[in-house]
Amino acid sequence: MTINRIFSRALVAATIALALPAAGSPAFAAGGHGNGGAADIGKPGKASDVTRTINIVMKDNFYEPENLTLKEGETVRFVIKNEGEFVHEFNIATAEMHIAHQPEMMMMVEHGVLEPDRINWNAAKKMQATMGHGMHNEANSALLEPGKTGEIIWTFPKHAKLQFGCNIPGHYDAGMQGEIKLSH
Amino acid sequence: MTFRLIGRALVLGVGLAAALSSATVAGEYALTVDPVTIDTGDFSRAGIGFNGASPGPVLRFKEGEDVTINVTNNLSGPTSIHWHGLILPFQQDGVPGISYDGIAAGETFTYRFPITQSGTYWFHSHTGFQEPDGAYGAIIIDKKGREPFRYDKEYVIQFTDAHPHSGDRIMRNLKMMPDYYNRQQRTLFDFLKDTETKGFGAAMADYKAWGEMRMMPTDIEDLQGFTPLINGKSASANWTGLFKPGERVRLRFINSSAMTYFDIRIPGLKMTVVQADGNNVQPVPVDEFRIAVAETYDVIVRPTEDKAYTIFAETMGRTAFARGTLAPREGMAAEVPEMREPPLLTMADMGMAHEGMDHGAMMADGKMDHSKMMAVGTHKMPDGTVMKGMNHAKMTGDTHKMPDGTVMKGMDHSGHGAMAKPDPFYAAGSGLKPAAANGGKFLSYGDLRAQKPLYKLREATREIELRLTGNMERYSWSINDVKYADSEPIRLRYGERVRFKFVNETMMTHPMHLHGMWSILDAGKGKWNPIKHVVSVSPGTTVYMETEVDAPGQWAFHCHLSYHADSGMFRKVVVEGGPRASAMPAKSMTGG
Amino acid sequence: MRNWHLTAVVIASALLVARPLAAEPVVWSIGAEQLEYRVGEGSDIQAWDGGGFIGKDELRVVWRSEAEYVSDTDKFETLENQIRLQVPIATFFDAVAGVRFDTPDGPDRAHGVIGIHGLAPQWFEVNLDLYLSEQPSVRFEVEYEALITNHWILTPTLEIDLPLIDDQEIGQGAFGPTIELGARLSYDLVDRSIAPYIGVHWERRFGESATLARAEGEQASAIYVVAGVRLMF
Repeated sequence: MTINRIFSRALVAATIALALPAAGSPAFAAGGHGNGGAADIGKPGKASDVTRTINIVMKDNFYEPENLTLKEGETVRFVIKNEGEFVHEFNIATAEMHIAHQPEMMMMVEHGVLEPDRINWNAAKKMQATMGHGMHNEANSALLEPGKTGEIIWTFPKHAKLQFGCNIPGHYDAGMQGEIKLSH
Repeated sequence: MTFRLIGRALVLGVGLAAALSSATVAGEYALTVDPVTIDTGDFSRAGIGFNGASPGPVLRFKEGEDVTINVTNNLSGPTSIHWHGLILPFQQDGVPGISYDGIAAGETFTYRFPITQSGTYWFHSHTGFQEPDGAYGAIIIDKKGREPFRYDKEYVIQFTDAHPHSGDRIMRNLKMMPDYYNRQQRTLFDFLKDTETKGFGAAMADYKAWGEMRMMPTDIEDLQGFTPLINGKSASANWTGLFKPGERVRLRFINSSAMTYFDIRIPGLKMTVVQADGNNVQPVPVDEFRIAVAETYDVIVRPTEDKAYTIFAETMGRTAFARGTLAPREGMAAEVPEMREPPLLTMADMGMAHEGMDHGAMMADGKMDHSKMMAVGTHKMPDGTVMKGMNHAKMTGDTHKMPDGTVMKGMDHSGHGAMAKPDPFYAAGSGLKPAAANGGKFLSYGDLRAQKPLYKLREATREIELRLTGNMERYSWSINDVKYADSEPIRLRYGERVRFKFVNETMMTHPMHLHGMWSILDAGKGKWNPIKHVVSVSPGTTVYMETEVDAPGQWAFHCHLSYHADSGMFRKVVVEGGPRASAMPAKSMTGG
Repeated sequence: MRNWHLTAVVIASALLVARPLAAEPVVWSIGAEQLEYRVGEGSDIQAWDGGGFIGKDELRVVWRSEAEYVSDTDKFETLENQIRLQVPIATFFDAVAGVRFDTPDGPDRAHGVIGIHGLAPQWFEVNLDLYLSEQPSVRFEVEYEALITNHWILTPTLEIDLPLIDDQEIGQGAFGPTIELGARLSYDLVDRSIAPYIGVHWERRFGESATLARAEGEQASAIYVVAGVRLMF
């Protein structure tokens, strides 16, 4: 599991590097700010730092609430419930990262991992084995089948233009995304 | 004094309340059918419109309401209005000779039906050639509850192919000379060019091959010389929809043409297809899509820059284009692209159109034509019905069997970015298969998956084969070689699930439209197969769709190319029986 | 006049059969493939070759008319009218049956007609008629439309008239054919309705027919430059 985490982080890093050619060092924003051009989206947080819990409801194809206003540097626990009939994702990143993430999700659909209303775990394991990604274990994302609940504890950075969104093919463009406003 | 004032106020208040409630009588609408002048800027001619204009008004209904529509015929002859894509009692469907007798001159007919669906639809006359002459309008039905996509603004983008000749004259001309309107035929100069590029031998062989069949590779648009319009406006009149940068805009595309398919793109904007034929689909981002005659597609775009975008719709045969603009302010225009080279049909498109060919044998690409082979243990009835004996298992999502019956050999689904994916809805090697102008994604029927299936998935109870046939030289079109006037109705039983097999034995693309019941297109997606009301069948292909027969009465079923329908590519469908508790098909409730 | 009564009866019955059903329209057309002025060695000739039809897919009533009017002598050298019933017999071919009345300035003739009309492979439009009467003959016509461009069309034509029995009165010798060859270059000016053209027209009598013609002091062959307009409405 840990190896996969590092693997997928590296993949995300590589994706960021490809998506932001103007960026300086392609280091994944693990805790650093002042990284030059590389996006700082925050980092996984510690349960003890959590200042509040926000419930996110995922429906077909939208979120409740539609937008979030948080404090810079805050650590939030998100409890994400999929009340829709389709698989959805809650992913914290910049708009560019979401768009870069979408082809990966498309590949998961093509490999039979992501069906409209369920996740095919066998296909996911196969895809992970052959391609190095597919299990979709990322700290900033919860990919949930209908009826399931997931949790993300996240520490937000000081300055960032962040969005939460669902990168299942088509959902983002259909409006399944929201702004995260970070205030002082 | 005070009492008087209070009294007056009371009277006023009550009067106001009464006035307001009667002004908003739930769901009562009035339409008139009028002679109008169609003026495109290129030409002007007499035509037909609704409420004094063509296109007619946008009717806006609410899911769940009962509507009453009073239609007054101000023409000197009969008319009718058909609500395209709406599920309603058959007497309200508006087809003279099938639903009712039509609406006589001077008469007012009152339609009454409940609205049990939501989405984008349209309405048009079903009498003579009134629809090509201008009698069409749009229908928007607002959903009860929240839609599975977000948008801030919406616009109807309704296409037509307005022609300087009236519909009657066009029909007569096509009968006189089938290539009357085709000014894109292969000439001596094209032959000479071919000689340069392919060599004389190959050019001559090609010419002779088509000549043997007495067919033309340029036979894509029967009708040319029209002015495509968006919402009644030509490209130079430039229909414009305004947006604020960053807004999501919903575009309700409706193709109300008589004969023309359009390939639509908005250079610089990705379109997310969210609805097809009024039913929500799982959102598909595309760069370009083809809209068949009578289809609708709803897309969401999100222009973020403070500039204008061109809505560009080239006709499938590349003879003309419709154009509109999305802009932050009036008076802006973006670059209008050049039209692309006209496509040419290939021998693959001719696959089943050879006169006298043994249909049980080879298809143009050498593979066995499975679509013509009937399963063992079936019995073919005179009307084309095949009584089922075999388990077709076509609806499961796991198989790779393509809708046209061929098994794709050597297709590697796991390959990444290798060749362009073949589209099973075009013959292998077809000249009509479209590609996105910017090299991006072109929507295929294979990309459509229902957002919410309307019916529980079950095996079809029987299969009915409908060969799409015709004689181009006589401009005579038919189904199973039988014209409407000589045909028997297709008889269906309430409660069954019929699998229709369209075998296109012609070299034209036919948008097949069944009234009153949904066409569940077999796109190999099992329970996610899209729910449509128009199924376009390309030349040389076989396409399947299934219908849950849950609407009693009689219904029209026809090719929606106006001049094909009127020359015989039409059938009456009779649904025998009606609702009984045990016979109810398992339909899931819409909404949510 | 009896012949016209017969014709009227034929047309009336055909139209009754072709009564409109369901949605299929009755179609009609009228026009002229040739409406031209011919200039040659001898007298100039004004000629037409046209007609029309009305009906539906299953049955059409067709009128065909041909004429050649010699300017110098103010006479109709040729004046033919045919009324035919046409029915489809194959994908690209129709069968025809009818009557033909020749009423030029000279002896009149009347014939029954049976024939085949259609589109042969490689886009050759062909017509083969057998005229039945006391002076039977066979006529074969073939025409091809070559698209130089989508508006400029070159139409070569060939017509062979073969009398089967001598008809000295009108200068026909048994098995002495008359052959007409034409090439006309037209421009579609108004849709397919009006197309002016120029071209050449060559005709020649062979065998017994040629002998008879020369005996009358006529030429056996003639060539003309033609200018005219093709009409189709």
